[in-house]
Amino acid sequence: MSVEIEFDTSWQDDFLHRIDNDGPWGNWELFKLAIGVEQHLVIPEFEGLQAPNHLPNLTPLPHQLETAKQVIENMNGKAILADEVGLGKTIEAGLILKEYMIRGLVKKVLILVPASLVTQWAIELNSKFFIPAITQRKSYVWEQCDIVVSSIDTAKRNPHRDIIYKQDYDLIIIDEAHKLKNNKTKNYEFVQNLKKKFCLLLTATPIQNRIEEIFNLVSLLKPGHLGSESAFYEKYKRDARSLNDDEHLKELVNKVMIRNRRADTGIEWTKRHVETIPIEFTPPEKELYEAINTMKNEGDWLQTSAFSVMTLQREACSSREAVFYTLKNMLQKKEKPTPAFEEQIQFLIQKVEAVQQNSKAEKALKLIQTVNDKVIIFTEYRATQMYLQWFLKQHGISSVPFRGGFKRGKKDWMRELFQKHAQVLIATEAGGEGINLQFCNHIINFDLPWNPMRLEQRIGRIHRLGQEKDVMIYNFAIKNTVEEHILKLLYEKIHLFEKVIGELDDILTKLEFGNIEDHLIDIFGQSASEGEMRIKMENLSSMIEFAESMKKGDSHAAAGNS
Amino acid sequence: MQQQEIHNFLLNYFEANECPIVENKPGFLTVQLTIELDKELMNRPFYWHYLEKTGGIPNPMLLTFITNKEKAPDQMKGEIIHFGSPRLHQIFESTKNLASYIRLYENHRHQGNQTPLMPWLCMNVKISHQCDRKRDVFKSIGLQLINGQMVEDFHDRLKLISLTPKIPDYTFTLSPLVRPKSGMLRIETYLKSVISDDDHSWADDARKRWEQDLRLLDHFYEDVEDGNESYETEKKALQEQYEPKINISFINGGLFYLTEKAI
Repeated sequence: MSVEIEFDTSWQDDFLHRIDNDGPWGNWELFKLAIGVEQHLVIPEFEGLQAPNHLPNLTPLPHQLETAKQVIENMNGKAILADEVGLGKTIEAGLILKEYMIRGLVKKVLILVPASLVTQWAIELNSKFFIPAITQRKSYVWEQCDIVVSSIDTAKRNPHRDIIYKQDYDLIIIDEAHKLKNNKTKNYEFVQNLKKKFCLLLTATPIQNRIEEIFNLVSLLKPGHLGSESAFYEKYKRDARSLNDDEHLKELVNKVMIRNRRADTGIEWTKRHVETIPIEFTPPEKELYEAINTMKNEGDWLQTSAFSVMTLQREACSSREAVFYTLKNMLQKKEKPTPAFEEQIQFLIQKVEAVQQNSKAEKALKLIQTVNDKVIIFTEYRATQMYLQWFLKQHGISSVPFRGGFKRGKKDWMRELFQKHAQVLIATEAGGEGINLQFCNHIINFDLPWNPMRLEQRIGRIHRLGQEKDVMIYNFAIKNTVEEHILKLLYEKIHLFEKVIGELDDILTKLEFGNIEDHLIDIFGQSASEGEMRIKMENLSSMIEFAESMKKGDSHAAAGNS
Repeated sequence: MQQQEIHNFLLNYFEANECPIVENKPGFLTVQLTIELDKELMNRPFYWHYLEKTGGIPNPMLLTFITNKEKAPDQMKGEIIHFGSPRLHQIFESTKNLASYIRLYENHRHQGNQTPLMPWLCMNVKISHQCDRKRDVFKSIGLQLINGQMVEDFHDRLKLISLTPKIPDYTFTLSPLVRPKSGMLRIETYLKSVISDDDHSWADDARKRWEQDLRLLDHFYEDVEDGNESYETEKKALQEQYEPKINISFINGGLFYLTEKAI
């Protein structure tokens, strides 16, 4: 079949005009140079990658190059990049983008990423790939700049939304695409209506969680690849959990998804050293903790959920400030507090006031002084965060706070401050996602989250590609408290800390028993005795162990590269 | 392009544009820009506008390019240039803009006799084969404007001939029988016929991929009523993604007056 040929004639009149007027004519040396340039820029083959020749300062890893090649040659530029955390999905996306730009197939690009990563994406594309990406700050940017990085929450709102729909994008990149698994959300609808000539969806969470989520994500990328909605659900049950049960479906998904695993890449990772530091309460701290504990079974507390008692206990292991803050809130929220309730709160507040020092903070201080290097402290509580900042300052140690709620600019600024000026970064849970701090290799877990995934994310901030030193993780746990139970019975039992990154999400996916946190609350809140608690914890950890052994059996069979 | 090639390219570019080369040592190059080239490369229209309005003394920039960090002295300040650097691509663009059209005479050595020179039309083009992938071919075509002889790889032949912008002594040019405008048309027709004889399996494959994705798309939307907006968007996206096209774009070209035996 013949192909339409377009012949560029725009230059002809100009040329004829010069012939008529005898010039002006160009310089022969430049004329020859121009042809030399063209001969260098010509792309001789449909296959292969040109981008690496243009990026002398970047040495992509073999799996990154392979991924870029796969996406361009076999997936026609539409793919879900689902590498395990820390394998460099950004690099892969950058390579693909650069390749298309060099080949002149892509000019206008929209990059949608979480707000906290907008600046980082723009910096990486500019510095590593020489791609002039602009962060969206003013609404004219959409029209005037070719390569724009923005958060999806900004983009989906008007007036941006309407302007974006009028643009003619060649490539759309979406980071953290697993957030688009629900097709009823505004974000999903927004992305669905974008014209996607080439499209990359980046996600670290394996999407084989639920069949519905797979369907939604794939249909966003390539509608019809898994069939129409009704036909799909006729064949697979909507709430079916596992993709692995169906070979055919797995194969289909692998046609649009690449998932590199750490084990397959053969990259040497720096080690993780985990040290658990048991800490003794001071007598007043102990008293506070016991006071909360004994109240568990008393009168009015029954009305409050097991959850808040549990929270108070955990907070007592963190700082008195955290406990005080929650107590105050409880009092304020209660509409008509009974005198007894008020009395109990007052009693606890007295206990809080009796506490004069924070054993963990003292320990942290000593540790920071001995380490004498940059340290990240993670805590679950804002009150603890503020206290720690004050406490460290008293001892001449500079620190910066970090929270998920910070605006993009503030996050960048705090990261910068930490890198250049401060010794310590104190982050709360929500601050764990979306910043990269490879320049630091010490983490103190001031208190432990109950969701192992969150712990993984904490560590993932520093234990990623680019980390050159071994990573030190210090876990603080107060003896004879919930904290110690969690650490001993759960985390240590499943060797959580020694796991390489990314392995855990696979294991937890396999478990299919819901939220670990709910189980823990149930165990600690409802157990009548220490013995019952221990048995329930044993059960939980053996389930995780079981899932782990199951995973080992088919680790390479699951949606890998094919 | 190797770093040494880049170094030579920059040197040639600035020399051809008559910029004084301040220093040219292994690993780096320092040049004094002329006013024209400062305007071309430095992107500071306000400065030049201001200067022209106030009649100040122009002060074009002095630039240092580091083409090899190891060979250049430490502490050397300058722009590090490599094949991917935006500055190099800006200069590439500028090279093409500054020398789109040319007219040259053969600098022959026939002394004394009156020598006739034949008119040739030269066109250098890039042929891009594009679907969801892309491949380019560079072609240089020469057309003799008297007898209509067509020559491929014309540029390579020209490079062997000594050429000058001024007509040499005792030399006259023959008037073309084929007007340049119809010459261009002949080259266009020639290129198209050559291309249509090429192997187009790449285009057939692209159409197959297109067809396949289109079928999936239709299937996906078969339950949805007609005229669905996102269906139309997706359909258009597929066309843009896969539709095979060949673009012939002009790089540069010109008139060359050559002796009879030159080609």
